Amino acid sequence: MNARAPEASRPNLPLEFQDPRESLGILGFWFFLASDVVLFSCLFAVYAVYHGRVAAGPTPFQVFDLGPVLTETLLLLTSSFTCGLAIFMMRRGSTRGLSVWLLVTLLLGMAFVGMEVHEFAGDILRFGTWHKSAFLSSFFTLVGTHGGHVSFGVLWAAALVVRLWRQGLTPGTARRVYTFSLYWHFLDIIWIFIFTAVYLSGKIT
Amino acid sequence: METSTPKAHEIEQGEVVEISALAPRFEEHAFPWRQIAGYAASLLLTLGALLLVERRLLPAAWLAPVILALAAVQAGLQLGLFMHLRESLGATWHVLTLALAIVVALGIVILSIWIMAFKSGVS
Repeated sequence: MNARAPEASRPNLPLEFQDPRESLGILGFWFFLASDVVLFSCLFAVYAVYHGRVAAGPTPFQVFDLGPVLTETLLLLTSSFTCGLAIFMMRRGSTRGLSVWLLVTLLLGMAFVGMEVHEFAGDILRFGTWHKSAFLSSFFTLVGTHGGHVSFGVLWAAALVVRLWRQGLTPGTARRVYTFSLYWHFLDIIWIFIFTAVYLSGKIT
Repeated sequence: METSTPKAHEIEQGEVVEISALAPRFEEHAFPWRQIAGYAASLLLTLGALLLVERRLLPAAWLAPVILALAAVQAGLQLGLFMHLRESLGATWHVLTLALAIVVALGIVILSIWIMAFKSGVS
């Protein structure tokens, strides 16, 4: 194919962009992220509309405890930073550095999920489940969907560490790591808005 | 940049055309300054927003717009410094896709709030 010919080998590009098919996969992943932006916007819209509908249940001000939430935020922010360092090491060709920072990212992600499960369990014991009010339904759905994404990301990172260990750094592995990093930073952006529009806004009196 | 741009009728079919917005662009650094700067700025913005709310440093009506603006700045930092938004084999495709997704997202959120603000008895 004529159009493919100039792209066939691109050794001067970063590893994840060298193979045209893998490179196209990265573009495809941006399209997936765009659809995820719309998914989360729907959940944010529902929360924005229903956060005042507390029925006879607790208000956002009563439910939210900013201490643990700040810890969760710092864990996820730091994991986003270490994920950036992982890509930095990958661009420098260091498989070892990449694996180590990916592992740190994974552990911080696990800590975040652990704290969130603990927070949700505490909320349910003290205030009731998502059946209680429209506020709690929309809150658990929005924050839980994000937590589900992070949990999936932790499993994905674990699979990548195993793959790196067994196959080393190939264009295919590099593309997978790069798309994971896009996913992980994207989840941090969603969390920034959850932290601001849900938790902090709930504390404005 | 300012080399002679070929006119449409001069381009042969199948020829690769260089458009600056579609050109490969990658940045190499010896030390992760961008990542460190992004992390430091994110921490400052997060703690700043938290302080504004906890200490009530602004009138209540101002707080929500201000902390949302801080969040938007932080999202931009993540995109630019960590997600290599401007780096790719031509960033135009994913930047335009993302821009469209953000327009749709803002439309869904803002118009939902707007339409439900009418107390017409349906909500």
